[in-house]
Amino acid sequence: MKLDPRTKLFMVFVVSLVAMMSATTPLLWGIRLTITIIPIILLVTEKKYASALRFFLAYAIAFVLAFYFLSEKSEGIISSLLIGYCGIVVQFMPAMITAWYVIRTTKIGEFMSCMQKMHIPDGIAVSLAVVMRFFPTIREEYSSINDAMRMRGVMLGGGNVLRMFEFRMIPLLFSCVNIGEELSAAAITRGLGGDTKRSSVIELKLGFADYLLMTFLTAATVIFVMYKYFL
Amino acid sequence: MSIVELENIIFQYKGSKDGSLNNINLNVEKGQTVLLCGASGSGKTSIIRLINGLIPHYYSGELEGEIRVAGHDIKKTELHELAGTVGTVFQNPRSQFFSVDTDGEIVFGPENIGLDPKEIKARLNDIVVEMNLDEILGRSIFDLSGGQKQRIACASVAALLPEIILLDEPSSNLDFDSIELLRGIIMEWKRQGKTIIISEHRLWYLKDAVDRVIYMENGKMAREWTGEEFVALSEDEVKSYKLRPIVLEEELIRDIRGESKASLCSVEDAIELKDFYFSYKKHPYIFLKKHFKESDGDFLNLNIQSLSIPKGKITGLVGPNGTGKSTFLRCLCGLEHDCRGKIISDGKIYKGRDRLKICYMVMQDVNHQLFTDSVKSEVMLSMKDKDEARCDEILESLGLADYKDTHPMALSGGQKQRVAIASAIASDAEILLFDEPTSGLDYSHMEKVSELLQQLASSGASVIVSTHDPELISECCDYVLGLNHGKVVYLKENSKQQRR
Repeated sequence: MKLDPRTKLFMVFVVSLVAMMSATTPLLWGIRLTITIIPIILLVTEKKYASALRFFLAYAIAFVLAFYFLSEKSEGIISSLLIGYCGIVVQFMPAMITAWYVIRTTKIGEFMSCMQKMHIPDGIAVSLAVVMRFFPTIREEYSSINDAMRMRGVMLGGGNVLRMFEFRMIPLLFSCVNIGEELSAAAITRGLGGDTKRSSVIELKLGFADYLLMTFLTAATVIFVMYKYFL
Repeated sequence: MSIVELENIIFQYKGSKDGSLNNINLNVEKGQTVLLCGASGSGKTSIIRLINGLIPHYYSGELEGEIRVAGHDIKKTELHELAGTVGTVFQNPRSQFFSVDTDGEIVFGPENIGLDPKEIKARLNDIVVEMNLDEILGRSIFDLSGGQKQRIACASVAALLPEIILLDEPSSNLDFDSIELLRGIIMEWKRQGKTIIISEHRLWYLKDAVDRVIYMENGKMAREWTGEEFVALSEDEVKSYKLRPIVLEEELIRDIRGESKASLCSVEDAIELKDFYFSYKKHPYIFLKKHFKESDGDFLNLNIQSLSIPKGKITGLVGPNGTGKSTFLRCLCGLEHDCRGKIISDGKIYKGRDRLKICYMVMQDVNHQLFTDSVKSEVMLSMKDKDEARCDEILESLGLADYKDTHPMALSGGQKQRVAIASAIASDAEILLFDEPTSGLDYSHMEKVSELLQQLASSGASVIVSTHDPELISECCDYVLGLNHGKVVYLKENSKQQRR
């Protein structure tokens, strides 16, 4: 299923909004769970089964733990750690899954075209696009650095947590800065940054699925807010 | 009529003496193909940057003199105005892509200058046909080989229809066949009457294309030849300029393409490798991973049942891009867990993680491999018994003694590489692996690497070096190991070896 980037952005917004407001009654929990399931289903439609399953399991486990095994009366280090873990997962995971889905399935061209449709200035659109483009680069660099650390037997930084972090971050920062500099030089020589309005090859059109999803998301948010604050 | 005019140029980068220019006067006629050659840091790249305006608008420094390109006064022209006039293909395919997908990359330039979408699509179609890009269209940039990336880079420059095309060491990361394709692209541009300026270390693929050759030395234009004069230069003359050869020997070409007719030669004193099977694709599994076996056949990216690596020698690992050279090195040193190959040396068997103990790989991008804040601690980090005297000895032998307390990131590329080699020596690994150590290096740096490798081998290490660099093979490799589709095709003694 091909969704319009605008729908995807709207989804990021709604999911983060609903997931951040605390759910207290079964109805509110129901809405929140439904909204969390949507991006997971979308991942399945994109044939990203493994990540869909992984997200689903992580969320389900945290959810079940938080609901059935932990309460205000829980004591001890293990339960306090668990509360921390589950709380973070249940609270932030939905937004993360959605963001991951959006980044994975949106081409930079589509994103730029969407920004133009929404009349966002080119400067902001380009910077956001560069951020999106950089995720895979960072991952690639990070995995080479990890390899190098394994080779040199310094995966654990000699048992020093600070060094473990330092050994990863310093080469990563250096190479990202270098790549960023070369990247912008290359982009400028191809006309980025002019006063001319950018054009776009990709024509975006909202389809049936987009309207359906947007209506559903809006309705869910309205019901959530109504029941939480006004009823 | 001159399309590029550089007049009395004096330039120095802010805070660095490298790559500065001294009294450059250069006129390039429309339709000419000009080659800039010379050592690293001699100012080739700076000239390219002057013409595309990155100097002075992006890289700042002190600039004197006049630059006119196709009627634009570069000093007064904004960079984006040059987009339809000057196009640049850069050296590093990793960092010149804005998009993540190939189509998006080709249309990126035309979109920037606000062309009509219909016109952009028409241009995209033309270019795809012209450069034969059908098979790599609609793919992610991150899944492409170096050669494919460079073709996309060329296509995305051509999409702006520039009159002048600049190429800054475009072949650095390419194998023989990709360079041939690149040559085809350059010839096509030449036929279309574009003005082409190339800065390059590898010269053989350009010999029929160039009209003028300019030899740079310490920021000056030291010599100039016409295309015919350049091709007629004798081997010794080329060497005396510290340039890479203009003509490649047939046998070497066959060697680096992994097409030599030889078969496996027997090696007396050897390290045995057994059962190296690996694939990047995984068998689907639920709980237990299935191991890779020989019977997986074409599914495998690496398929070596047994192989003898000459001990204490330098073995050059050759074959086209994407044929499994890097995979082989990664499996050999144990970075790929799923490869369960065994290394047998002196009757001892190393498998799994133990392989990491006797192997050490110096990666292509050494920036990933340096972690600490001084050269000395970098070397000490690799040592099991922190022996300061030995550390000093190693640094001394690599000419790094003066840089003991310098931050590794503050060193030049060549020095960084030597630091990485120093930590390889310090790790006491028996098998040293090098992944493309000379890509993008000029002749004299390549010679230095080759001397270092010989030094390592004569101190008893077995060196395996994956390379596309014919000169490196003829300089230092004792054996040549050809890979194709993950299988060993041949292992032969290198007849061309000119070891002193």
